[in-house]
Amino acid sequence: MKAFQYATAHSADSARELVAGKGAYLAGGNDLLGLLKEYLISADLLVNIKSLPGLNKIEHGRKFWTIGSLVTVAQIEDDADIKKTFPGLHEAAAEVASQQIRNVATVGGNLAQHSRCWYFRHRDTVCLKKDGDLCYARNGENRYHSLFTGNTCISPVVSSLATIFASLEATAIVLRDGKETRMSMAELYQRAWENPLAHNSLSNGDLILRVEIPTARTRSAYLQASDKHAFDWALVSCAAAAEIVDGKLKSPRVALGSISPVPHQVEAANQFLDGKVLDEATATQAADLILKDAKPLEHNAYKVPLAHALIRRTLLKLKGEA
Amino acid sequence: MSNWPAETKYIGQNTPRIDGAVKVTGKARYSSDIQAAGWLYGMILRSKWPAAKITSVNLDKARQIPGIKAAVRARDGAFTVRFYGEEIAAVAGTSKQACLDALRAIEVQAEVRHEFVVNETEARKENSAQVWEGSANAPANPRPRENGNVDTAFPECAAVIEGFYSTPVQIHNPMETMGNTVSWTDDGLTAWSSTQGISSVRDGLAGALKLDHSKVRVVTEYMGGGFGAKFGAGVEGMLAAKLSKEANAPVRLMLTRFDQALAVGNRPSSFQKIKIGATADGRLHAFEAENYGTAGIGAGGDSGGGGGGADIPMPYIYQVPNTRVKQSAVAVNAGAARAFRAPGHPPASYGMESAMDDLAAKLGIDPLEFRLKNDPHPIRQREYKLGAEKFGWNQKYQKPGSSPGVVKTGIGCAGAAWPAGGGSRDTHGDAQINPDGSIEFRFGVQDIGTGTRTVIAVVAAELLGLKPEQITVRVGDTNFPPGPGSGGSTTCASVSPAVYDICQKALQQLQTQSGLADARGENWFAACKKLGVNPLVVHGQWQQGLSADHACGVQFAAVEVDTETGLVTVKKVLAVHDCGLIIDKLTLESQINGGVIMGMGYALYEERVMDDLSGVVLNPNFETYKLPGLADVPDIEVVLINMPERGVIGIGEPATVPTAGAIANAVFNAIGVRVGSLPITPAKILAALGKVPPAVAA
Ligand SMILES: Cc1cc2nc3c(=O)[nH]c(=O)nc-3n(C[C@H](O)[C@H](O)[C@H](O)COP(=O)(O)OP(=O)(O)OC[C@H]3O[C@@H](n4cnc5c(N)ncnc54)[C@H](O)[C@@H]3O)c2cc1C
Ligand code: SF4
Repeated sequence: MKAFQYATAHSADSARELVAGKGAYLAGGNDLLGLLKEYLISADLLVNIKSLPGLNKIEHGRKFWTIGSLVTVAQIEDDADIKKTFPGLHEAAAEVASQQIRNVATVGGNLAQHSRCWYFRHRDTVCLKKDGDLCYARNGENRYHSLFTGNTCISPVVSSLATIFASLEATAIVLRDGKETRMSMAELYQRAWENPLAHNSLSNGDLILRVEIPTARTRSAYLQASDKHAFDWALVSCAAAAEIVDGKLKSPRVALGSISPVPHQVEAANQFLDGKVLDEATATQAADLILKDAKPLEHNAYKVPLAHALIRRTLLKLKGEA
Repeated sequence: MSNWPAETKYIGQNTPRIDGAVKVTGKARYSSDIQAAGWLYGMILRSKWPAAKITSVNLDKARQIPGIKAAVRARDGAFTVRFYGEEIAAVAGTSKQACLDALRAIEVQAEVRHEFVVNETEARKENSAQVWEGSANAPANPRPRENGNVDTAFPECAAVIEGFYSTPVQIHNPMETMGNTVSWTDDGLTAWSSTQGISSVRDGLAGALKLDHSKVRVVTEYMGGGFGAKFGAGVEGMLAAKLSKEANAPVRLMLTRFDQALAVGNRPSSFQKIKIGATADGRLHAFEAENYGTAGIGAGGDSGGGGGGADIPMPYIYQVPNTRVKQSAVAVNAGAARAFRAPGHPPASYGMESAMDDLAAKLGIDPLEFRLKNDPHPIRQREYKLGAEKFGWNQKYQKPGSSPGVVKTGIGCAGAAWPAGGGSRDTHGDAQINPDGSIEFRFGVQDIGTGTRTVIAVVAAELLGLKPEQITVRVGDTNFPPGPGSGGSTTCASVSPAVYDICQKALQQLQTQSGLADARGENWFAACKKLGVNPLVVHGQWQQGLSADHACGVQFAAVEVDTETGLVTVKKVLAVHDCGLIIDKLTLESQINGGVIMGMGYALYEERVMDDLSGVVLNPNFETYKLPGLADVPDIEVVLINMPERGVIGIGEPATVPTAGAIANAVFNAIGVRVGSLPITPAKILAALGKVPPAVAA
């Protein structure tokens, strides 16, 4: 990697000041250090944010819970209250990478991680995302790529947490230009939908402070399908959350990961599900709606039936848990 | 035939590795742990282009990077590179970072060739780019090998199937990557190599560097696996030597995982078109096959272990009276293949065993019964019957595709044959017996990880009436009497007879010198004491009659297939194996466990993925070059057939041969359709089940 300077920030404001220019926030480092080692990005200054006060806590409110951006994925996985209140969040955290990675991976870093497209990650291919002039994946090896995109890059969002947060309608609170800005998961990734150069909607200096999760949806579930049984990326991930009132879904929300640059959500499907009794037929119709406009490529069309199965299973799982 | 003792205390029993403790405590020094005084890091600059003429390599700026002590070119003058990752130059310096900076400072001028090809199916086409200018990538008309007459035989068959079975390029990924620490001074050269052949590394280095063999010493105390790719010092070893000479310091040049995927070996792919027919009574009658595969720019690169070519044995273990087989190797712009654990056999087994089950299904016969009818080998016959009983084959077997529900279960089986596994007559060893009764064996073999030290200790303890822990074993140094490379599953069958020879001679001499009628066991120390002050040094050699070759082996697999997610879960593998006289059950079982796990990776996960447009390997890491993890590994039950009458035979290779075929057949049995290509991924399962929609034009 290129030489860089290193500083530890003790307040959010000083972190922001330090990082301005050619700096990068360093949280768990799982993603950032890999990018630096492969010369995929360069930073003059790494600003260690792990000592920022107050950001490593899970707080329980009546209307919403707050998860600090320095909370680790393992912390979420191990938290008994989370498991009870947001079972889907527990399930998503438990599927992330390996125990070693979960121990150090933070919520902020997980949400802000870069593309895993193997062309982007390769040191010697210069694709659109690296300001080159073509997308290698589109007519190349695209088995892990998107079924939906708003631009010429087909690299999907792979954060497992983003998928479950989207279904829970969580909000990321981002410190931008000295002010706290609220972003839905859709907003947090919107720029990646539009612009092949972007991995998410954060600009240099934007700092994720915490994530707020409304408690209204008392049921949630997460499932992912991979090539292997553990320590493997999701080919497709799916999360669903809702309340069940008198046996009927209330405010249901379904989101999928690894098939679009943003957590894939179809409002028509959420509306369709609202007020319905969950059964196989309803789940199937919802899955049809969610995947209606999929544009499979040469090697990723298998994700359509896979996503379909996951949507049905995740929805039915909502019913299963009392 | 064999003279091995009939009653044993250690041979055939469970002796834990004598070096287990130093390995798990980290005291064992692997080649990559060596820190010779004043050592430097070495690193290689590799081609960014899949095909180019390198016209000049300027090292001046690299040499100016602080900490850099040497920089050398991989070849002199202008030269051609033919794959992404081919070596161009190397540097040595006091830190990794200095080396990384230096690599980026090397100025390479190249005429980039835009015509190249990394896909073997494309490379066979007439208008394909040529890997070797002026010569076709593959022969237009490979010569058929024929037996009988397939043309008249097929019409005589009651059932015929045609199948297409393919296997990917598999990358050697031992936990310890390739590499050496080399110290080259005026006095000679010492290489601490991660190798499975210290003698072949010595010969290679001495030959290439024009040194007397006596001036080259190779040391491999502990090494982390090779699987056939580590017989030579490799380009990286030569470069480390040149860097060491220039820097006048030892240079440690271990490859990175990224490097490992590019230039240091792989198992060739196979694309097997098989037509096979049987008569109404279920006997194989006709077999016709065309197979091609790629060994990269060429086969056998640096493979003292033999082969590594794209041809595979067909129709594998079955005897078919009428056969016609055409095979060809296809050159592509990728690193050369090398021997890989049972070269040729896992792809052959997968293809043929798949065809067998497809034909059995057409005939409406139980695939196990079909094998018993057509596989004449008496040992495999015995193994199939024994295995079937333990596995509960008859109770579990159901017609392909008849498992109900979304998650379907299935079972399958497959067989192996390994022609090698015998001993090498060129195996020498010494033992020094000291007056205090301590004894030290010295063998110029290496332990590739299979437990060679333990084997030597077990045999010696048995024959001398001592305990394994009383035997000191030194291996992995060319200063010891020479031994063979660890390839072809031959090490155990090579060293065991030599230890036998040494022990016989030692006992004779001790008895003569001490006057005791039997120097073994409780008399050992008394006999040794009589030596006075001079230790006894005994030289021994491999002897006939104590080892043999040709192992068999069959495996049974039970799987679950989720027909909605395509996920295959292997629930159980039962592995029935023979390797003559069993020396140590524990190390033997661990070879078989490892073989099954590797075979499972081949069946379900492993595959080198290359990009047609850029020519790079897209998955040079364990994130996307997928290997089985603990959560994937099934219950493995090992059933051993001890055959002391055959003498010692190796097991390393046969253990990995039939796994992929057995798993593939179990998947077929579960879902009723064939996935004709490894690895069997969820994507391919869903496609085979007809669930995948067509692509929308990009
Ligand atoms: C083999 C492997 C498998 C994996 N599998 C999964 C998986 O299944 N699911 C999954 O979700 N992830 C997976 N991951 C990714 C892993 O979870 C992420 O790399 C990790 O969560 C990143 O967190 P970190 O704290 O280490 O981030 P860092 O590496 O420290 O940072 C990542 C990026 O986020 C920025 N950043 C960090 N904190 C903030 C903040 N508070 N505000 C703004 N920007 C910030 C950094 O500047 C950097 O650009 C896998 C990774 C590997 C290597
Ligand atoms: S999908 Fe995006 S990141 Fe991948 S090659 Fe195409 S442009 Fe690059």
